[in-house]
Amino acid sequence: MESYIIESNKKKSRLPARLDLAQSGTGLILGLFMWVHMLLVGSIIFGKAAFNFVAKTMELAFLSDTGHGYPIAVFFAVSTIFTLFIIHALLGMRKFPINWKQHRIMRDQMQMMNHTDTNLWYIQAVTGFIMFFAGSVHLYIMLTNPASIGPYMSADRVVSGNMWPLYLILLICVELHGGIGLYRLCMKWGWFTGKDARKSREKLKKLKNRLTIFFLTLGILALLVFVVIGIKHRDKVGEKYEKLSAVVEQVDIKERV
Amino acid sequence: MSEQERILKFQIFRYNPQRKGDKPRMVTYEVTEAPGMTIFIALNDIREKQDPSLQFDFVCRAGICGSCAMVVNGRPDLACRTLTSKFEDGEIKLLPLPGFELIGDLSVNTGNFFRAMSERIESWIHDQYADEVNYDQLEERMDPDVADEIYELERCVECGACISACATKRMRDDFLGAAGFMRLARFAIDPRDKRSDEEFYDVIGDDDGVFGCMTLLGCEDYCPKDLPHQTQIAYLRKKMAMVR
Amino acid sequence: MKVIYTDSLIIGGGLAGLRVAIASMQRGFDTIVLSLIPAKRSHSAAAQGGMQASLGACIKGDGDDEDVHFADTVKGSDWGCDQDVARMFVNTAPKAIRQLSAWGVPWSRVRKGDRDVIINGKKVTITEKDEAHGLISARDFGGTKKWRTCFTSDGTGHTMLYAMDNKAIQLGIPVHERKEAIALIHEDGVCYGAVVRDLVTGELIAYIAKATTIATGGYGRLYSVSTNAVISEGIGTAIALETGVATLGNMEAVQFHPTAIVPVGILTTEGCRGDGGLLLDKDGYRFMPDYEPEKKELASRDVVSRRMTEHMRKGKGVESRYGDHLWLDITLLGREHIEKNLREVKEICEYFLGIDPVKEYIPVRPTQHYSMGGIRTNATGESPTLKGLFSAGEAACWDMHGFNRLGGNSVAETVVAGMIVGEYVADYCAGNTISIGTSTIEHFVRTEEKKISDLLTRTYGENPFELKKEMQEIMMDKVGIFRNGPDLEQAVEELKVLNQRARKIALRNRISSSNPELVEAIRVPKMIKMAQCVAYGALLRTESRGAHAREDYPERNDRDWLKRTLTTWKDEQADLPEVTYEDLDVMKMEMPPGSRGYGVDNTVHHPDTAKREQEVEEIKANNPGADRYEMQELLNPINIPEKFKGKNERIGRGFK
Ligand SMILES: Cc1cc2nc3c(=O)[nH]c(=O)nc-3n(C[C@H](O)[C@H](O)[C@H](O)COP(=O)(O)OP(=O)(O)OC[C@H]3O[C@@H](n4cnc5c(N)ncnc54)[C@H](O)[C@@H]3O)c2cc1C
Ligand code: HEM
Ligand code: HEM
Ligand code: SF4
Ligand code: F3S
Ligand code: FES
Repeated sequence: MESYIIESNKKKSRLPARLDLAQSGTGLILGLFMWVHMLLVGSIIFGKAAFNFVAKTMELAFLSDTGHGYPIAVFFAVSTIFTLFIIHALLGMRKFPINWKQHRIMRDQMQMMNHTDTNLWYIQAVTGFIMFFAGSVHLYIMLTNPASIGPYMSADRVVSGNMWPLYLILLICVELHGGIGLYRLCMKWGWFTGKDARKSREKLKKLKNRLTIFFLTLGILALLVFVVIGIKHRDKVGEKYEKLSAVVEQVDIKERV
Repeated sequence: MSEQERILKFQIFRYNPQRKGDKPRMVTYEVTEAPGMTIFIALNDIREKQDPSLQFDFVCRAGICGSCAMVVNGRPDLACRTLTSKFEDGEIKLLPLPGFELIGDLSVNTGNFFRAMSERIESWIHDQYADEVNYDQLEERMDPDVADEIYELERCVECGACISACATKRMRDDFLGAAGFMRLARFAIDPRDKRSDEEFYDVIGDDDGVFGCMTLLGCEDYCPKDLPHQTQIAYLRKKMAMVR
Repeated sequence: MKVIYTDSLIIGGGLAGLRVAIASMQRGFDTIVLSLIPAKRSHSAAAQGGMQASLGACIKGDGDDEDVHFADTVKGSDWGCDQDVARMFVNTAPKAIRQLSAWGVPWSRVRKGDRDVIINGKKVTITEKDEAHGLISARDFGGTKKWRTCFTSDGTGHTMLYAMDNKAIQLGIPVHERKEAIALIHEDGVCYGAVVRDLVTGELIAYIAKATTIATGGYGRLYSVSTNAVISEGIGTAIALETGVATLGNMEAVQFHPTAIVPVGILTTEGCRGDGGLLLDKDGYRFMPDYEPEKKELASRDVVSRRMTEHMRKGKGVESRYGDHLWLDITLLGREHIEKNLREVKEICEYFLGIDPVKEYIPVRPTQHYSMGGIRTNATGESPTLKGLFSAGEAACWDMHGFNRLGGNSVAETVVAGMIVGEYVADYCAGNTISIGTSTIEHFVRTEEKKISDLLTRTYGENPFELKKEMQEIMMDKVGIFRNGPDLEQAVEELKVLNQRARKIALRNRISSSNPELVEAIRVPKMIKMAQCVAYGALLRTESRGAHAREDYPERNDRDWLKRTLTTWKDEQADLPEVTYEDLDVMKMEMPPGSRGYGVDNTVHHPDTAKREQEVEEIKANNPGADRYEMQELLNPINIPEKFKGKNERIGRGFK
């Protein structure tokens, strides 16, 4: 008797779809996270107290009686973000030109056509590449020193810890990358298409540019404030910000009441 | 219509791979502009009067057939419908479409590419009962709006501009490219094509397909027929990501 | 020597060629299509208007059927067509369109309820029937009683060609692109394929086949200004002529369209005038009412073209670097109307003229548009004189258009002929074998090789581009819309001289591989021969019929000229083709010759006309119970492949 092999219907792998979703999902979370992050860090512009309040809140200080909070919360937050960051980076790197030849083609193409959205992608790839290192350093520090966030200690890290050049680079990279990334997400999945997709695209692009400018300004101001605080505080590196002003504020509030 | 005549400067890519020892180079030609002159007219003028070996492709010369796409001052476009008066400084640089096999000078082989594309995505109506249709009887009805929608996506003239304008495609040879997505989207919305989403996934559900598109949107911006690439690729991406 | 064998060789990848290829492939024969360009770029893609088929679904097509379509077609042809073929055509067209629908053409569909249309410049509301909703719609076109022209928005030819090519790809039909057939291979009155030049490498290849079909489109580029693609140079037709065996039919029947833009000759639709646009001369004066007080700009295509030419000859044309032209004024229609209803025209004006037709006049002039003539075939599509050679589409003179084709009938012809002729091609493949010796094949290839090497070695001689230009000018000026004895005689003489000169072409770029000048040098002598067929045929035909308008013989003369012109070129060294005639048999006509209905009827009637009319009346009277199918069978029995014999269904009347 002849024998027959019955070939099972091999289903095409759904992995590429999942990975694409993962890339976008992690990108989306990171992108939105970074806006929140910048707003939070930006609180330094409104004073040490404001920043301290934010930092303490992040440490879930409002849950503790002492008001000291649980730096472990920060640790967990950083781990989560770090994980997403790594996953996203690994997924993103699949799209990089894999060799010199591809890179040359990419550059050649950009030169020949000078097409905006292609250039934007290139910016994303380059900034992503830089962030992979710069961001990792920052995240590692945050991961290992979860309790070190505060107006003075942060400022010391920026100035005396010589972190400011890294932060400056990281800031520019993340704002460009994140802004472009979120705009690209809308294009990629057809979000906010409205009635006229082309008009919507123009609008989204404009919005993206404005947001990038806003967050860059915010970030640079914040960094400047950190630098100023850090320089003034150079002699007292390691000293923690005491809740002095926070107390004063509370008094303030009481008085008002 | 009495403009002052001016001399146009054409910088044209020249290379004939059929000719041993020939090297790629840019050659400059001068042409006296005439009212209503298109690049089609100018190139023929150069060929007839200056250099009979100049190669380029025109068929309909009316912006209909898609033969004449080339990179005009950095923009892939249909040369036959590009007026020279558009270029204020009178300097026009012409390159063949990148990403296609070069036949010679401005002429590239888009034919074999698009045939392969059509075969790859099986660019025809899939209906196992199609052969049993009796054409004496009334045709199957179709909603007038659906018919119009299909036509809007079928306006692609296979010019290749979207392929050339896509850095992803150029970096990765096996990437399907925007024209392929557009064609597939056209079949995906056609009620006559009975393919399921799973079957479409088999065609474009990988990194050479829709998940490989990095949303660079060169296709969207340079398609001379203004096809809605961005929304259609997004449509396919969503559809494919949902497949279980 | 490279030789490729196949069963069915099709030269031409337009609608006609692809449809024949599909037919022979579906019947199981090995099939190859040759094309100068990728198939989807063929000129069929340029047809925007639509395809005629009497589906009768839209309200303005109510009451339409094969008989009405037949009458329109025969009248349109000025009774020059073959009525058997016209019958086969109208009966099959509805099936063709429905098949294309199943293959993917997104035909525009009927939407039930009210809609506004513009008829005679006035807004009219029409109401589509509920039961027609979703069926294939149709629009109005010149020369038709009913709205019969099916369409896909403004891209009918494009969607048809794409569906057709996709079908061909599905069937795995190979299309060999960038290949040019430059000679037919034949022996003892049987055709066995073609010598083909690879346009990239320059290699010559012999394609040997049982059946060879030429579907290479029209020869519009014999004229300096044409709406046709630049590749519509009639080379396919010319290589049939050069066999000296195959005949060409009605070569002098060339159609002109009134409003193509200047200089590039791109068509602006008849809709411009239909909606109220005017024709103006260099003084901004509206001249058409002077010539045609009744119909003015809206007289039939050939009439308007003639009047425009007449007016320009009086020195009233607008001078330009590209010759005289007139103005088409649609500014009076207003922006809203133009942007909504004449979108295509507006785009053409913007891209090609850099003008806004809302504010500016469009420069237009009558322009060569369609070739009714071509390779003469009988109703099966086979050459009556060269066995195994078939032809379909614009390249053929299958002869359903006679001396004037109706708009929308030519893409319909390509598909219907493709279906019908395709079956006969398959039959031929089934019944014949290839019996040709290698030596014969070699002989044909060597002959072409020799011609090419002569071209490449000659150091001094004629410039092919120049010759072509001169030929095109002669054709435009002297064998154009209006023809007369002295001009035609001159044209014939001048073309003779060009023919002589064309034997001494020399090249500046002497390489055998991809070389546009060499391509030109191979084509130009063939084109000049074709031009001579047109000019000479026009000179000999001393009457006016359809598009062939003789100023010196303005009447249609059925008595002497109810015949088809047949042209051969037996002696390669001859100066002129040989012209003979084939009578159209009035006694077999389903519709005996009558008046086309334009202007005064000054027809010189054929002696048989009255006889046949009476006979038709008698047959009708003797068979009072016969339905329209039986009546047609009595008046004009036709032979058609079994597949296509069924009656066509329509809403409201079933298969009646
Ligand atoms: C502007 C315009 C608008 C039109 N609009 C309409 C309309 O609305 N309705 C209508 O019914 N008709 C219309 N027509 C006419 C109609 O489009 C053509 O008659 C028809 O499409 C011809 O089709 P075809 O298949 O015969 O040839 P084509 O489509 O011209 O194809 C010819 C093929 O032959 C190949 N070929 C040519 N020479 C050679 C060679 N030597 N070797 C190998 N291959 C060769 C070419 O590559 C091409 O593939 C229009 C025509 C024009 C010019
Ligand atoms: C560690 C370094 C990072 C690398 C190497 C990286 C790389 C990339 C790359 C290559 C893309 C493009 C993906 C594509 O074209 O499909 C991308 C997309 C994106 N990135 Fe990053 N990225 C990094 C970090 C970040 C961070 C920190 C953010 C948060 C602001 C972010 C937000 C986004 C977003 C929103 C997208 C769009 C998602 C998508 O296209 O699916 N990325 N990233
Ligand atoms: C949960 C994770 C994160 C935490 C808790 C965190 C925390 C902080 C803190 C506290 C600062 C203030 C400076 C300091 O103390 O050193 C800071 C600054 C900064 N962080 Fe993060 N960060 C996180 C993730 C990221 C990521 C993923 C990026 C981008 C890749 C990033 C980019 C930056 C930048 C650019 C600055 C400097 C901002 C400025 O001064 O304008 N951070 N971050
Ligand atoms: S999608 Fe547009 S750019 Fe791409 S091939 Fe088609 S017409 Fe050309
Ligand atoms: S340019 Fe390429 S990457 Fe995608 S959006 Fe268009 S196909
Ligand atoms: S030649 Fe056909 S689109 Fe330009």
